[in-house]
Amino acid sequence: MDALTLELLNGVSLFAILAIVALGLGIVFGLMGVINLAHGEFVMLGAYVAYVVHANGLNHWLSLPLAAVALFVLGVVIEVGLIRRIHRQPELTILATFGLSVCLRQIAELVFSKDFQSVPNPVPGATEAFGVLFPTYRYLLIAIVAVVVAVTLLAFTRSRFGLVVRAIVADRDLAESAGIRTGVTNLCAFGVGAATAGIAGALVAPLGAVEPQAGLAYLPGAFLVVIVGGYNRLWGVAVGALVVAAVQTGVIHFYDAVWAQIASLALAVMVLQFRRPTPAGAIA
Amino acid sequence: MRLEAANLRSGYGTVPVLHAVSLTVSSGEIVALVGRNGAGKTTLVKTILGVLRATGGALRLDGVDITRLPPSRRVRAGLRATFQERALFGALTVSDNLRLNGFSSESHHRVLDVFGPALSGRGAQRTGTLSGGEQKMLSAAIALATGAPLLVMDEPTEGLQPSNVALLGDHIESARKAGRGVLLIEQHLELAKRLADRFIVLEKGEVVDGGPASDSDVAARVARRLLI
Repeated sequence: MDALTLELLNGVSLFAILAIVALGLGIVFGLMGVINLAHGEFVMLGAYVAYVVHANGLNHWLSLPLAAVALFVLGVVIEVGLIRRIHRQPELTILATFGLSVCLRQIAELVFSKDFQSVPNPVPGATEAFGVLFPTYRYLLIAIVAVVVAVTLLAFTRSRFGLVVRAIVADRDLAESAGIRTGVTNLCAFGVGAATAGIAGALVAPLGAVEPQAGLAYLPGAFLVVIVGGYNRLWGVAVGALVVAAVQTGVIHFYDAVWAQIASLALAVMVLQFRRPTPAGAIA
Repeated sequence: MRLEAANLRSGYGTVPVLHAVSLTVSSGEIVALVGRNGAGKTTLVKTILGVLRATGGALRLDGVDITRLPPSRRVRAGLRATFQERALFGALTVSDNLRLNGFSSESHHRVLDVFGPALSGRGAQRTGTLSGGEQKMLSAAIALATGAPLLVMDEPTEGLQPSNVALLGDHIESARKAGRGVLLIEQHLELAKRLADRFIVLEKGEVVDGGPASDSDVAARVARRLLI
């Protein structure tokens, strides 16, 4: 029973990490249709913000708003300098963001070296709940992700900004004809997508090594979540993260982590096969 | 306010559609642009609003060159258009469409009541589930209710029942009386004759005829061009 509870808590923790990592991609790729292959590098840079905060002896929790602001600014610069010029041409977007991901990794390497860095757990120890001991930081991570995802979902579904984003996604020309400044909205949406990736990076930094290649590990998972959850609807990210986390946790329980990755990939392929002609995922 | 197109050219990719189209629309006048299918009327509307980029010539609003401005800037400058197709966000509710067009919640009923009870109380309905005629009414009602000084209306009566065609005509006439300029793209020749101050005939992307609507010769020529 205890082992099962622990597995469930691990599953919820994985769900939270997948959701926060994929949230930005859900905005940029799912809503705006920009295939951003540099999304993993945004997460990596967020982790480096946490490392810099730690290296300067500051409180780890400061890295969350700092990563959000730094990545928002970077996202805005990238949107203006790159994305808005090519985002109607998917093949160019893929090439450009792939190049961007290489550049960001190289810059991280130049600034921080190839060495693995670590960010200490700001809340070491474990908390006993549901009859098992589970790392306290992971409980906090789950709570913070729940808040960030909920606030982002509300902002994109209940506010005028969210309405405008949905209108632009539906028909950019028509939105412009209604007097909506689509350029400004896309800029903000891309910035918010990058900012959530930055928060994700700062949150996961204490869970693993911080290094220039770290982003590569996050990108496939983020795309899996968005594909499984469905594009066009941001809450699909939560659904996709839940399904992928459930599949991975279940397969890890019965087999191992390698089969868990294969199962997730197979799930994404199945979803793409059964996808409706409109860009909405099987579940969403 | 005065809209002026001077030798305006545009097209799709390498295919030119408009060849040096020149026209003006001033405050307080209705200009009816007529032409057969494929004449380039919708292309002209898209180019005036900026959805389609002009490949030559100039577009001016009160003498200010707006040829390179994005559509949202043109709308803010006082231009509004209704499109023949894709005029509304079908996946969003009627209220959402109104909000996107700048109407506050308090003013929604004012827009929805433009065509009497047909659209009243339909705010929560998904726009794509309205009939074609209702969508046309909503699109026209939005354009009219914005109060924009210059309206470009692309086939606004298509799919409307006769009583609503007449009602729309009354609203367009009221807009003129309020000092607004209207470029009316219309196949419904009787309505065009009733409303227009001037006719412009477009054929194969060129202005081939036109003149005051009060001139019976002009009206006869326009009718002939559309029938042949």
